[in-house]
Amino acid sequence: MAAAAAAPQKMFPYPYQQHDFNNGLRLITVPTDFPNVVSLYIVVATGSRNEVELGKTGFAHFFEHMMFRGTKEYPPDKYNDVIKKAGASFNAYTSDDLTAYHTTFSKPDLETILRMEADRFQNLSYSEDVFKTEALAVLGEYNKNSASPGMKISEQMRGLAFQQHTYRHTTMGFLKDIQDMPNQYAYSKMFFDRYYRPEYTTIIVAGDVNNDATRAMVEKHWGAWKRGSYNAPIPKEPAQDGPRQAHIDWPSPTLPWTVVAFRAAAYSDDAKDSAALDLLSFLAFSENSPLYRKLVLEDQKVDLLSAGNADHVDPYLFTVHSRVKKAADMDSVREQILSTLAGFKDTLVSAEELDKVKRHVRYSFALGMDNSEALAGVLASYVALRRTPETINRVYDLYSQITPEDIRNAARKYFVESGRTTVTLTGVSK
Amino acid sequence: MRSVLAILLLLSPAAFSQAPRVVALPSQSPLVNFRFVFLTGAASDPATQPGLASLTAAMLAEGGSAKLAYREILDAMFPMATSVSYQVDKEMTTFWAVTHVDNLDAFYALFRSMLLEPGWRQDDLKRLRDDAINALRVNLRGNNDEELGKEVLYSRLFAGHPYMHHNLGTVSSLEKLTVRDLQGFYKTGYTQANLIIGLAGGYPPEFLARVRKDFASLPKGKPAASRARPAPAPVQGLHLEMIEKNTRSVAISFGFPLTVKRGDPDFVPLLVMQSWLGQHRSSGGRLYDRIREARGLNYGDYAYIEHFPNGMFRFEPSPNVARARQIFQIWIRPLEPPTAHFGLRLALYELDRLLKTGLSEEEFQRTRSFLATYVNLLTKTKQAELGYAIDSLYYRIPGSYNQYLKDGLAKLTRDDVNRAIRKHLQTSNMQMVVVASGCQELSKRLLAGAVSPMKYNAAKPEDILREDKIVEAWNIPLQAANVRITPVEKVFE
Repeated sequence: MAAAAAAPQKMFPYPYQQHDFNNGLRLITVPTDFPNVVSLYIVVATGSRNEVELGKTGFAHFFEHMMFRGTKEYPPDKYNDVIKKAGASFNAYTSDDLTAYHTTFSKPDLETILRMEADRFQNLSYSEDVFKTEALAVLGEYNKNSASPGMKISEQMRGLAFQQHTYRHTTMGFLKDIQDMPNQYAYSKMFFDRYYRPEYTTIIVAGDVNNDATRAMVEKHWGAWKRGSYNAPIPKEPAQDGPRQAHIDWPSPTLPWTVVAFRAAAYSDDAKDSAALDLLSFLAFSENSPLYRKLVLEDQKVDLLSAGNADHVDPYLFTVHSRVKKAADMDSVREQILSTLAGFKDTLVSAEELDKVKRHVRYSFALGMDNSEALAGVLASYVALRRTPETINRVYDLYSQITPEDIRNAARKYFVESGRTTVTLTGVSK
Repeated sequence: MRSVLAILLLLSPAAFSQAPRVVALPSQSPLVNFRFVFLTGAASDPATQPGLASLTAAMLAEGGSAKLAYREILDAMFPMATSVSYQVDKEMTTFWAVTHVDNLDAFYALFRSMLLEPGWRQDDLKRLRDDAINALRVNLRGNNDEELGKEVLYSRLFAGHPYMHHNLGTVSSLEKLTVRDLQGFYKTGYTQANLIIGLAGGYPPEFLARVRKDFASLPKGKPAASRARPAPAPVQGLHLEMIEKNTRSVAISFGFPLTVKRGDPDFVPLLVMQSWLGQHRSSGGRLYDRIREARGLNYGDYAYIEHFPNGMFRFEPSPNVARARQIFQIWIRPLEPPTAHFGLRLALYELDRLLKTGLSEEEFQRTRSFLATYVNLLTKTKQAELGYAIDSLYYRIPGSYNQYLKDGLAKLTRDDVNRAIRKHLQTSNMQMVVVASGCQELSKRLLAGAVSPMKYNAAKPEDILREDKIVEAWNIPLQAANVRITPVEKVFE
C-alpha cells in the first residue's frame, strides 16, 4: 500500500529544484522520467481576485488574451511560427487566484520557448485597435459559456455570498464590464505594469530537463526583468450575517439545480480547517457516500451530486451542487443536503470511513501524475497558493493527521446558518 | 529498462494475431492503464432501437455486476480513487480505467466482473436510461448549442445511413429499451473477435496472460464488418438546417461527406490542409486568424477531417472514435446575432479561397513541420498511446500512428496537398447547421442574400476592409426549399 500508507511519505514524488532570482522571479525545475517532452508553466499570482476596481471585472482573464498579441520582436505571426516549428501545444487559463500560461514541446526547443516567453512577459506591445478587437473575442467566450446554466449559477452564488471581496465576481467578469472592455486600453497598460512582474511570477519546467542548464537559460532571458511594487488592496469579506438565497428562472427548458454553499476556510498547509473540509466533502457527497447512494442510486431523484471546498488564497466557499430531476423534489433534496451536513456536527465519523477518504485523496493525486504536462499543471495550481511544491507534501501530511474530531470541529465551525447561501434554478417548462 | 518482450510488443501492437487482439505497453510506471475496445457501437444499433449500444455499455460501466450492486462497486473503488469510464461511438465501444499497481488485483477483479458478468438490474437501467435522456434533452439540446449543431450536422449528412442517429439514440427509443434488448446486444457485440485488449504500465508479466484467459470466456464471434460501410447519399446543393432555441448567440457548423479516412493515400495531405485551415483550438489556423484574430467575431474557428466529439472540452481528440466514413467540417464558434450572416459568409469565402489558391510552399512547409512534431503530443498519456495503437489496428495502419504520420509527411509535397484539396473539397454541395434564436428572420436574410456589412469598434487595416467588401456580398446560393427550421425540442426526440 505504498501510496496510501498512513505514515507520511512525500506525496510529490519528484525531486525538484527551486531557485529565487534577484528580481523576485522563482524557478521550479522538475526533471521526470517521461522522455523527450518538456512542459512549461508560467504562473502569475494574479487572477480575478486582483480585480479590485469597480467596472474592471474580468480584466485578469482579458489580459491573458492580450498576452498573445505579441511584442516588437515577436509579433503574433512570428510567435505562432516558432510554436508551429516546435510542434508545441500552448494555451493559458485564468482563475480566481492565478493566470497560467502553458506550453508543451520537445526538449530541444526549451531555450527558444523560454526566450520568446521572456520577451512577451517583459515587452508586450499592442495597439488600441488590436486591443478592441480582442475584447470582442472575450465577449465571444462569454457567449459560448452562456448556453449552460453553470455560469449563471456561479455568478449568482458569488454575488450573494460575497459583498466586499473580489471573489464576488466570476473570472469571466460581469457582462457589462466585458462589454465595456474595448474602452479600457489605458487601464490594460496599468494592469500589465502592476502584475506582470517577477515577484508575481513562478516558472515551472517539468519533463526531460536538466536543472542547471534550465536555470542558466532562465537567468539569461528573464534575469533583467524589473521588479514591481504594487500590492492590490484586496478587500476583506466581513462575516456573513445570515442565510442568503436567490432563484434563477432559466429562459429555456433545463433540469432544476439546487446549490448550497457555506463560507469556508482559505487554503492552508498548516492549519487543519481547510484540509478537514476537503475530506468532509468526500465523506458527505462522494459516490460511495450514504447521501449519493440514496439520492442518485436508490431514490433516483438527483442525477448529479457533487461537493467541493475549492482551494483559494482567501476564504472561499464549500459548495454542494445537485441537479434534481423534478422541481417538486428540490426542497426535499435541499433539506437532505443540510441534514447530512448537520449530522457531521453531532456524530463522529468512523475511523474506517475517514481512512477510506484519506486513501482516496492520496491515490487520486498519484493517478493524476502520468505525464509531465499533467504534473506541471497540478503543480501550477498549488504554486499560486504557496509558491512551492513542498506545499503538496505538507497538505497531504495534514490530511493524514485529520481525526474524526477535526471533521466534527470543522462542521460545527463552518456549517452554520448565518454563513449559508442557496441558489436554485429552474427552466421553463416545455 | 523495458523488457525484451515489451519492445517486441511495442514494435508490433498486434503481436497476438488470434482474438482477442492485444496492445501491450508494459513499463516501470506505478500506474496500470486499461483500455478495452469492442468493435461494435451505435452503427450496430438495430434501425428501430437507436441508443441500444450506448445503453448496453452504460449498464456495464455504471451498473452492477452479477455479484455486486453498483453501490458496492463504487464503495470498493472509492479508496483506490478509480472508476471505469466508457465511450460509445459508431464502430467502437471503449472501457478504460487507471489504477495504482498497489490495487491491481482488487481493481481487476471488479473490472473483470463488470465486463464479463453484468448484473442487468432494473434499477440500474432506470437510472442510466434517465441519464441518457437527460444527456440528450438537457446537456446537449439545452446547454450545449455548439455540440448540438455538430451532432445535427452528422445526422443530416448521414440521413438513412447506420451513422445517422446520435450515439445516445433518441428519447423515444431509449424509453422503450428493455434489459432483454441490452442482453441481446451484449451477446452478439461483446465477442472475442470484436475485442482489443489494451494494457499499459507496471503490471506483472503474468498478468496479461490472466486477462486473456478470463476474456476467452466471451463468445468467439465473427470479426465485425465495421470497416465496410456504404457511402452516405451525396449532398446536392446547399442545405440549411436551423435549430430554433432561446439562446444568446448563433452557433454554426457546416460540411459534407469525405471519402478519405485515416490510412488512405489522401489522408495525410488533407491533415496538412486541416491543420493549416483550422488546427483545433489553436491560434494560427487560417479561419481563426481571419475570423477571430483579425476581426474579433467570436472565440475560435476550426476545421476537421475526422470526428472530434466534445471539442469544446478537449484540446486533443479522444482516440477510439474511428469511423469507416468521415466528413469535412468547419466549426464556427458562437457569433453575436448581428454578425452571424457575415461570419458564415467569411468562412465560406475562406473555403473558396483555399480551393482557388491552395497552400503556398511556405505555408505547406510550416504546417508539415508543425505536424511532424505535434504528433508526439497526441500520445503524451498512456491512455492516448493505447488508444491510437488500437485505432491503427482498425485502420490497418502498420506501426504507430506517430510513425505513420511522420513517414507520410516526409514524402509529401505541396502539390500533393493542393491536389487533394481540389479533389476532395468543394463549396457547392454542403449541409449547414445553425443553432439560434430568431431562425425565421435569419433565414430570410440568408435567402435574400442582402449585403451584411461589418461595423467594427476599432480601425481596421485596409486589406481587411477591402476583403470585407467582397465578403459582405458573398453569394450563398440557398434555395428556400433547402432550408428547414426545427424547434430544439424535436431534435433527437
